[in-house]
Amino acid sequence: MDAVTTRGLSRRFGEVLAVDSLDLDIAEGAVFGLLGPDGAGKSTLIRMLATVLRPDAGEARVFGHSVTTERERVTPRIGYMSQRFSMYPDLTVEENLAFFATVRGVTRAERRSRSASLLESMGLAEFSHRQAQFLSGGMKQKLMLATTLMHSPDLLLLDEPTTGVDPVSRREFWRILAGLHREGRTVLVATPYMDEAERCTRIAFLSGGSVRQSGTPEEVKARVPGRQLEVSAPDPRAALAALAGVPGVASAHLLGDVVRVLWSPSDDPARLLPLLPEGAGVREIPPDMEAVFAYLAEAAA
Amino acid sequence: MRQTLTRVGAIARKEFTHLGRDPRTLLAVVITPVIQLLLFAWAISFDVQHVPTIVIDLDRTPASQEYLQQYEASPFFDVVARGGDLAAVDEAFDSNTARVAVIVRAGFAEALATGGQGQVAVLVDGSEPTAAKVSQAYAVAINQLHNQAITREWADAQGLDLSSLGTLEPRIRTWSNPERRSSDFLIPGLMVVIIAIVTVQQTAVTLVRERDLGTQEQLEVSPMRRIELMVGKLLPWTLLAFLDVAMITGLGRLMFDVPLRGSFWTLAVGSALFVFASLGMGLLISALAPSLDTANIMAMLIAFLPSFLLSGFAFALDQIPVALQWVSYLFPARFMVSISRGVFLKGADFAQLWPELAALAGYALVMLVVASALYGRRSAR
Repeated sequence: MDAVTTRGLSRRFGEVLAVDSLDLDIAEGAVFGLLGPDGAGKSTLIRMLATVLRPDAGEARVFGHSVTTERERVTPRIGYMSQRFSMYPDLTVEENLAFFATVRGVTRAERRSRSASLLESMGLAEFSHRQAQFLSGGMKQKLMLATTLMHSPDLLLLDEPTTGVDPVSRREFWRILAGLHREGRTVLVATPYMDEAERCTRIAFLSGGSVRQSGTPEEVKARVPGRQLEVSAPDPRAALAALAGVPGVASAHLLGDVVRVLWSPSDDPARLLPLLPEGAGVREIPPDMEAVFAYLAEAAA
Repeated sequence: MRQTLTRVGAIARKEFTHLGRDPRTLLAVVITPVIQLLLFAWAISFDVQHVPTIVIDLDRTPASQEYLQQYEASPFFDVVARGGDLAAVDEAFDSNTARVAVIVRAGFAEALATGGQGQVAVLVDGSEPTAAKVSQAYAVAINQLHNQAITREWADAQGLDLSSLGTLEPRIRTWSNPERRSSDFLIPGLMVVIIAIVTVQQTAVTLVRERDLGTQEQLEVSPMRRIELMVGKLLPWTLLAFLDVAMITGLGRLMFDVPLRGSFWTLAVGSALFVFASLGMGLLISALAPSLDTANIMAMLIAFLPSFLLSGFAFALDQIPVALQWVSYLFPARFMVSISRGVFLKGADFAQLWPELAALAGYALVMLVVASALYGRRSAR
């Protein structure tokens, strides 16, 4: 059985159709990445699956149960981590964990053993008596994740869990997710980071409230026509400006001090050199998710 | 059932933890009532005594001096100045050094002696209506007393025995508060105002805060029911409201000698119902208000003003316009002020106060049900 199934799922906010008759299937055990520009409908989709937002039309099922008519069968099996920090700032790490676990119906004995092992594995043990408001960004996110794991959910719904978190904490966060994946749990994670998308077993690219592309990261990358070029130049911004509107350039974006260009397959990259500022170099590299994202976002716009 | 209790307990405990970590709220709940009580009981006194008075004797005779002596002797009037001409009155009123002026016209003694009317003018500064009204009444009383004294003297001089003359003697007594002390009148009402402020204000922000923190969504994905959340949040505030009731009753008894004549249990039941009604109102605000600021302002408008102005606390309800009298029935404070004054001052119990108690119970029930329903409707978004 699929962990998540949606058919024709829609939700409108006033004039804006945030999710537009969306069809999605997520197999049990997947680490499923939701990509897409801001306002693509990622959060709306996740909140509907978490049962905190009602769909206007269509249906969504979690482990076969409807999120609207069988809420009480859905909620015990999901852990939902919203985009914002949503713990009590004046309660300690331990108190937050204990409170949410208690209202979730976790018994006292389970609460003790699980919070101890979760805090240990996430490196939060030494901060267990610190009030949540005094944690760093990365620790806050780990506290939220630990809280959503206290009742051992089968499906994790994570809405941009690593936004605003430093790279070391992000890597650690994904190490924890990998562990959950090995335990057989299903993870649905919205992320703006393309390196995180590469770590998913499957991804879907959302735009305008519906799925534009989905599959494994490799499949999605392969579907994007063209080759990727990396342009190095003494002044990368000038190079980026020079590339705008050049025929054959599907998309171009700055990455550190180089410009990554998605190049239509038939053209010869050498043709670009004369257009670029003095001292620029061009080489072909395997396409990355960043380029794919930029291409898909532009194609959808 | 056991799970329900566990969840309600978890919420209540968490609320207590919030309180413990936030000394300002705790101070607001425990200290503010004391300060308000002292301020109201001392500063806002409707007692009128020691009214600064100027006396002007244009007659300068033993008779006029004897008459004016009555004012000097009264604890009600404080003779602050003696003047020789009328201009002194204007000056004293304008500079606020006196609020009452007593003027004895020239020829006062002569008129009395020849069977005419001794003329006395009493001027009252009306800029403070309560003081003015009471001053006037006292001045009239002093004049009557003096009249009687003069009559008796005359009768004695004529060799008449007035004891054979039948006279009318009205005996006026004020019940419930015989000394008409305003603290007796104010403190039972003040208790209602303070409970209303503490409970409505605090619960008004509590659900909004959960929404602002984003923790509401986490609670929604738990099996907890809305009513469990509401009850869990009400428990700590109910306890604190009772603490306030106890403090105000205690301070009122000890410091201001407010009597507690009626049944303590009637007061306790009434307070409990009023606390529930107020908390329900707070939750209703919380379910409706889009932001913390709005919740605070709504609480102010809905809790403070009606319980202050439309409860009978400050203004007698039968003295306000009829339309406002009807409006006052929309707020629970008026019922509680009746109960509180009834128990404290009149010695009333369940037998007399059941209509008010029933009204409060109904009010509390409606508020909690409506708040639950509206909060649910909002979160179903």
